Amino acid sequence: MAFQSRRKFCYFKENGITDINYKDVKLLKRFITDQGKIMPRRVTGTSSKMHRKLVRAIKQARNIALLPYTAVSTEG
Amino acid sequence: MRYYESLYIVNPNYENERLDKEIDSVSKKATELGFKSLNHKPWGKKRLAYAIDGHKYGAYIIFQFETESVSNLSEFERFMVLNKSVIRNQTVALSAKPEIDEAESSLKTKKEEGQKIKKNAQNNTSIDEQKNNEE
Repeated sequence: MAFQSRRKFCYFKENGITDINYKDVKLLKRFITDQGKIMPRRVTGTSSKMHRKLVRAIKQARNIALLPYTAVSTEG
Repeated sequence: MRYYESLYIVNPNYENERLDKEIDSVSKKATELGFKSLNHKPWGKKRLAYAIDGHKYGAYIIFQFETESVSNLSEFERFMVLNKSVIRNQTVALSAKPEIDEAESSLKTKKEEGQKIKKNAQNNTSIDEQKNNEE
């Protein structure tokens, strides 16, 4: 079987991003699932250092209601 | 000197004048506590990712400031939490000094611009009408 795995790379390193701002919702949405969960590093390929920054930014964005904690389905 | 950014959500149903008042009251409290305001501007009305106190939309306002005394931050936090018109607030530390907007896009200036545009539009329409009449 000739399975060719897709090359994993850190999105931030590749694009020269050093700081992640919690207000950049468009960027953060790339790293959460439809349910609103933070995607694991093994899936996104983000470097350890940037993943820690990413998690922090997502949690800050959640607190100020820019991103959901969970899927919107719970809302009446 | 340390730099902070406070992002807070105000009731979206407030009119521009009321919003200006809220911004002024926050600025006043900040100066009382010894904070130096760098940027204080509305970020726009947005749909909230989840409902807060029955609100589905919110008017976001960004307030960036610098201060030397860290002790007053908790007092500022308390003021924001007790402020009934502020639905949610969050203050985070900034790693570097934020850029100061030269053209402070406060609501007041926006209003003035809006009035100017309206006036121009009125003038244009009146000119058009005159042209039509001439024809």
